[in-house]
Amino acid sequence: MANQTGRGQQAQERLSQVSNHLSGGSSRKGKQSLLEKNPDDVVVTCALRTPFTKGGKGGFKDTQSADLLIGAFKALIQRSGIDPSLVEDIAVGTVLAPGGGATEFRAAALAAGFPVTTSTKSLNRQCSSGLQACVDIANAIKAGVIEIGVGAGTESMSTQYGPNAVSEFSEQLEAHKEAANCKVPMGVLSEKMAKAKGIPRSEQDAFAAKSFQKAIEAQKNGLFDQEIAPLTVKWTDPKTEEEKEITVSKDDGVREGITAESLGKIRPAFSKDGSIHAGNASQISDGAAAVLLMKRSTAERLGQTIIGKYVQASIVGVPPLLMGVGPAAAIPVVLEKTGLDKSEVDIYEINEAFASQCLYCINELGLDQNKINPKGGAIAFGHPLGVTGARQVSTLLTELKRTGKNIGVTSMCIGTGMGMAAVWVAE
Amino acid sequence: MLEYRTQGYNGYSVKYSPFFDSRIAVAASANFGLVGNGRVYVLGLTPGGIVADKFFDTQDSLFDVAWSESHENQLLTAGGDGSVKLFDISLSEFPVQSWQEHAREVFAVHWNLVAKDTFLSSSWDGTIKIWNPTASASLATLPTHSCTYSAAFSPHSPSILSSVSSDSHLRIFDLRTPASASNHLTLNMPIHTPPKPRMGAAASVGVPPSEALTHDWNKYRDTILATAGVDRLIRTFDIRAPNAGPIAVLPGHEYAVRRVTWSPHLSDILLSASYDMTCRVWTDGSAMGVGGLKQENMVQQDPMVFGGGREMGRMGRHTEFATGVDWCLFGAEGWCASTGWDERVLVWDCRAIMQ
Repeated sequence: MANQTGRGQQAQERLSQVSNHLSGGSSRKGKQSLLEKNPDDVVVTCALRTPFTKGGKGGFKDTQSADLLIGAFKALIQRSGIDPSLVEDIAVGTVLAPGGGATEFRAAALAAGFPVTTSTKSLNRQCSSGLQACVDIANAIKAGVIEIGVGAGTESMSTQYGPNAVSEFSEQLEAHKEAANCKVPMGVLSEKMAKAKGIPRSEQDAFAAKSFQKAIEAQKNGLFDQEIAPLTVKWTDPKTEEEKEITVSKDDGVREGITAESLGKIRPAFSKDGSIHAGNASQISDGAAAVLLMKRSTAERLGQTIIGKYVQASIVGVPPLLMGVGPAAAIPVVLEKTGLDKSEVDIYEINEAFASQCLYCINELGLDQNKINPKGGAIAFGHPLGVTGARQVSTLLTELKRTGKNIGVTSMCIGTGMGMAAVWVAE
Repeated sequence: MLEYRTQGYNGYSVKYSPFFDSRIAVAASANFGLVGNGRVYVLGLTPGGIVADKFFDTQDSLFDVAWSESHENQLLTAGGDGSVKLFDISLSEFPVQSWQEHAREVFAVHWNLVAKDTFLSSSWDGTIKIWNPTASASLATLPTHSCTYSAAFSPHSPSILSSVSSDSHLRIFDLRTPASASNHLTLNMPIHTPPKPRMGAAASVGVPPSEALTHDWNKYRDTILATAGVDRLIRTFDIRAPNAGPIAVLPGHEYAVRRVTWSPHLSDILLSASYDMTCRVWTDGSAMGVGGLKQENMVQQDPMVFGGGREMGRMGRHTEFATGVDWCLFGAEGWCASTGWDERVLVWDCRAIMQ
């Protein structure tokens, strides 16, 4: 019933009704609608990572996972200029930390300068944990649970990698064929998959060498400088046993002068006649990454610089023994959801867990090689498990910006047989 | 193209008189219908252009208008304050009758085309009400439990009526059924059901429900209805096959479709008005010889382009949301009138834009 006192509210309701008519609609898809800027877009205002260093001997070999995270958080607060008290939730992806790292990461957030009112969770979806963390935060923002959040990842493979990562399988798990497959080591199953899918060692080595060459080129030209936040840590010199303070400012796994021929000499790691070896698989590394997410309207209100937006993600399951095909299964789903054609994506960041599986996915999807990992990938600078997904965001957005392009996809395969992919737009 | 300016009032609905080929009614509202007065215009088409024969002001916005089918001088308005008013254009100023039963904005009014002694209204309050112009209270209330943007009597039966609402459903009511727990509801069809996959074409992925804003009964095929709304698609349904999904899907509008209406002359021709500021003419692909352009590669067919229908032309002269459009019942087929938020009423011949 219309009455004079309710007029203001009634006008507001009619206005929101009309705006719902305009904003709704399932057919709003495709490149044009992706490039539109709407106040309720979830945008990235800062994405960065620590350098990645070699497991066991690199610059972070004596640094705890939580300390790497503190480094990433401090840099994030400093570079974005965000008031830490406005950040409502933090999700941290990690794979190896005992207890999920839940306690340490909450403590790390506090130590990095976030107030007690900023909550923190840890999560583990294997190698996509970092991406899952960003997607969880983006979804929480979309749903109105929080307004500002951080998606992050951290991993110290130096201190936490080892046989304790999985507990003993129960009888029930062992009795179920597909369930038991979940614990087959990734190297072994990737070797089998490479053989089954007919991906020869020569192609894997050529792909891996290209990753190294692209990464060293990018490093020399300073293309990582924008995304990397240098970190000062304590480091014990293995020769002198002397503890000193060092500042790590670049990925130390990237090597110069790697060619397909030089990789061809390395002995296979998992079987004598195999094709996978240390040179064409991802490196064991340490590092952390963080991504600051909020609604566009919030970013504009706070004067935050918008560097890109999160659009959509997909998660799919695949047979555990074929976990490497994950991106080939997940990418078409996210493209379908967003109405994009594969040719409309400017850059694909597909994690190089193994050259074999990455190559398989590229061929299977028929992607343009020049669009894949233009600054190299995990084979060249490392794959600290839970970090990679968050790392890819900074790698992707800086490169899209530099080359004046806009649409990117990040994706990775996931141990136990899954694939995840997400669409991002650089601005 | 003839033009009339509804100065200060943004158009919401336009209807040709069923009695005179030169008389048009327009429901319009100040401030885009958000807050303020409403005004219903009675326009005359004269050799000297369009002139306002009459207008009536109302306290609240007006969202729809309908001519009486039994009295050439009377018309109904749908009010933002929940009122339904009957005006007589031979009188000045006040409505001859006003009914205040709806709890929220009334979005549609429609006169019974067969019995001519009843009319209906539908509202944001989630109900459809059936009225008799001589009775002071409604004859029946049919709940939809969902904001009902559009309701209409069948042009073929005095007791069948239909509605579409924001829950993405098309409902059919039959007043001959006993007023049991189902409240005369005989069919409830989800509009967002994807069309049946065809041989050689990929099945369409499911589409989410979205608000339906308008619908209309085909004037020749008594079981065919067209619906449209927020998802920008116009669909046609056959109520004999309620589970079969749409029989035609017509994509093209770039924003929500606000009004769709079947031609009174041709059984396959539709006219639509949309928030994308265009009015478009469509064939649903059912008439002989107009069959859709076959897409060359069968596998590449877009499963949502369905039924062989296509857009036949568009009128892009509105400069704001196009909200209302209606066909002239008389004379050469193709004359129509449209209105929109640009404070304009346009009268045009859609044969001039059809290809």
